[in-house]
Amino acid sequence: MTVERKISIVLAGQGNAGKSTVFNYLTGLHQHIGNWAGKTIEKREGTLYYDGHTIDVLDLPGIYSLTTYSDEEVLSREYIIRQRPDCVVNIIDTTNLERNLIFTLQLLELERPLILALNMIDLVNRKGITIDFNKLRNILNAPVIPTVASRGSGLSGIIDKAIELKGTTTYHTIHKYGKEIENCIGQLAGLLQDLNLPYPERWISIKLLEKDGDIIKLVRERNPEVLEKAKRFCMELEEIHGHDSSIVIADERSHLASQITREVVKINPGNNISLSDRLDAVTTHKFTGYLVMIVIMGGMFFTVFSFGNLLSGWFDTIFKNWHSWWNDNVGITFLAALGWSAIESVLALVQIAFPYILPFYIILYTLEDWGYISRISFLMDKLMHKMGIHGKGCISFIIGLGCNVPGCLSCRIMESRRERFITAILVTLVPCSAVSVIVFGLVGKYVGLLWALGLYLFAMILIFLVGRISSRFITGEPVELIMPMSDYKTPDFRTIINQTWDAMKEFIYIAAPVVIISGVVIQAINMAGWMPAISSFLSPVTVNWLGLPSITGILLIFGILRKELILVMLAAYLGTTSFADVLTPQQMITLAVVSMFYIPCVATISVLWNEYGWKKALIVCILEILFAILLAGIVKRILDLVF
Amino acid sequence: MFMYRHRTDKSQNITDKPALTDIKDGQTGIIVSITGGSKAVKRLADLGLNPGTEIKVLRKTLFSGPVQIEVSGSRLVLGRGLASKIFVDPK
Repeated sequence: MTVERKISIVLAGQGNAGKSTVFNYLTGLHQHIGNWAGKTIEKREGTLYYDGHTIDVLDLPGIYSLTTYSDEEVLSREYIIRQRPDCVVNIIDTTNLERNLIFTLQLLELERPLILALNMIDLVNRKGITIDFNKLRNILNAPVIPTVASRGSGLSGIIDKAIELKGTTTYHTIHKYGKEIENCIGQLAGLLQDLNLPYPERWISIKLLEKDGDIIKLVRERNPEVLEKAKRFCMELEEIHGHDSSIVIADERSHLASQITREVVKINPGNNISLSDRLDAVTTHKFTGYLVMIVIMGGMFFTVFSFGNLLSGWFDTIFKNWHSWWNDNVGITFLAALGWSAIESVLALVQIAFPYILPFYIILYTLEDWGYISRISFLMDKLMHKMGIHGKGCISFIIGLGCNVPGCLSCRIMESRRERFITAILVTLVPCSAVSVIVFGLVGKYVGLLWALGLYLFAMILIFLVGRISSRFITGEPVELIMPMSDYKTPDFRTIINQTWDAMKEFIYIAAPVVIISGVVIQAINMAGWMPAISSFLSPVTVNWLGLPSITGILLIFGILRKELILVMLAAYLGTTSFADVLTPQQMITLAVVSMFYIPCVATISVLWNEYGWKKALIVCILEILFAILLAGIVKRILDLVF
Repeated sequence: MFMYRHRTDKSQNITDKPALTDIKDGQTGIIVSITGGSKAVKRLADLGLNPGTEIKVLRKTLFSGPVQIEVSGSRLVLGRGLASKIFVDPK
């Protein structure tokens, strides 16, 4: 007889501690990534079958504390307390032990069984630092397991411990605060006992002393008298310590963390400045830092596009005869043509995904895992501030260069809704790989590479200006950058592949269906013979204002599906790819400018809709259309003077 | 056994102390006080930045950008505005 043994564990930890790596290692292909109900926060769940046990693993978002600073923090603590997982695994970045322990102490206060995974222990040892695991175990009375998640070492130990802990009621040693604080906690906890709240009393008492907004509200509803008492205690503590009571509590925790760290960490002398420190000094330096950044980003672009063009040309030769094969074998009916347009969309997506987007993300996530991307955030923070956001927004911009869909989704790393929205708007203006295909294939090839690069510079300036303007109109208090900066480390192949796959998945699952369906719809409109009417309807704008051939009206409509269609269809319409024979340099540049900015593609629009609601998505689209038309018209008039 | 003993430091006088942004790259100081929004102050406290903590300015960027610091063995980047509200006693 087999008894099904189910165990639920959650992974909690600070950003960069290797939580995702652990999660991926444990759950492999058995994972489900969705959203938390009613929130735009990613929910990562997975299942592990181990030694006759079914283990549900939930990866909580990476957070730095358990206050109400962000939705992620509230969600994490609510989940741990209310869902009562069998065990919480605290993934710790051991290279930043002290800071991570502050979070561990907060997790312990939630009174669930806790396992400490001291991750990246290899990096610590390499620095000549040893950690006394037994001592740490004894101090916290919690299991401590050294791990190297990237190699999977130590992870089975976590699961063994989780199985062992299942059902136990022995709790860990919960640290004590100073006498006067413990006195307040004790009295408050006593008063809370009869209220029957779904949280541990001690934890609520601590949160009341920390002036936690959510908890204050909860207690006020049940018993306002307790709140009065708590207020008096807060004032007493502030009187004694001279700081806000919430800071007093945090201060005690961080001192305790530092005390514990000193007890368990042994630094072996004789270690010089590490390679990471030297690299850090160069890559974040006032001058060389920016130089390195330009070289790295430029190199990345050059690599992606030279490789992409090669591969894309190769795909072209493979797919060349497919259309005539389809026509010969399926026939030239209305339905067959619609079917072909769906297939064509798939082929085109393949042709943009493999040659450009895939290599782009592999390089990007290699840089990230190495530790470089946070350096860019540091260097660019000042500039980002002028746009009303902070340095981390730069990461979304860079992701957007590959594809705007993961770019827009990555805006979730920004702390406030205001920042998220501003960043998302700006990401839609970032030239993605599809737009780059137009810029390089049209302007770069026929007008000159410098002109193409000039367009990129132009895009950057424009994004900056739009950022400045939108940060004025979208109100809210700007958030300051607070970002941990981890050491450089050897990039881990598995992590890179996983992250690349996540970004590609967003492209495949979100972008592809929208693109294919709307492709078929537009093809149907086309075959109904309405396109000439549309293009002549648009000709006052395209022909008179922008000085482009009237066919561009249709191209721009198709371009909403995928930007590179503008170029592909232009070639099909002209029956040639030597655009220089039919378009003047001004026209090519004007067309490139319109293509870059006139509207986000359908897939990006659908993301905006999902994340920010249809109203905001619609406003962004309309404003961008008007803006791009105005801008390209002005550009055209200036170019007329130049050429 | 692990109990924190309180310091008697209650200094709130910030006017004569330099902010993080005022001290030189590579210089160390003890945090005297942190002003600014309560949320940000709390967040910093949770990351280990409290009055009494030793903090080292590693480097700043050009054009008065953010500040890279080291505190209790970890490196952090703080936006300029925030860094200018952290006052220290330089060593």
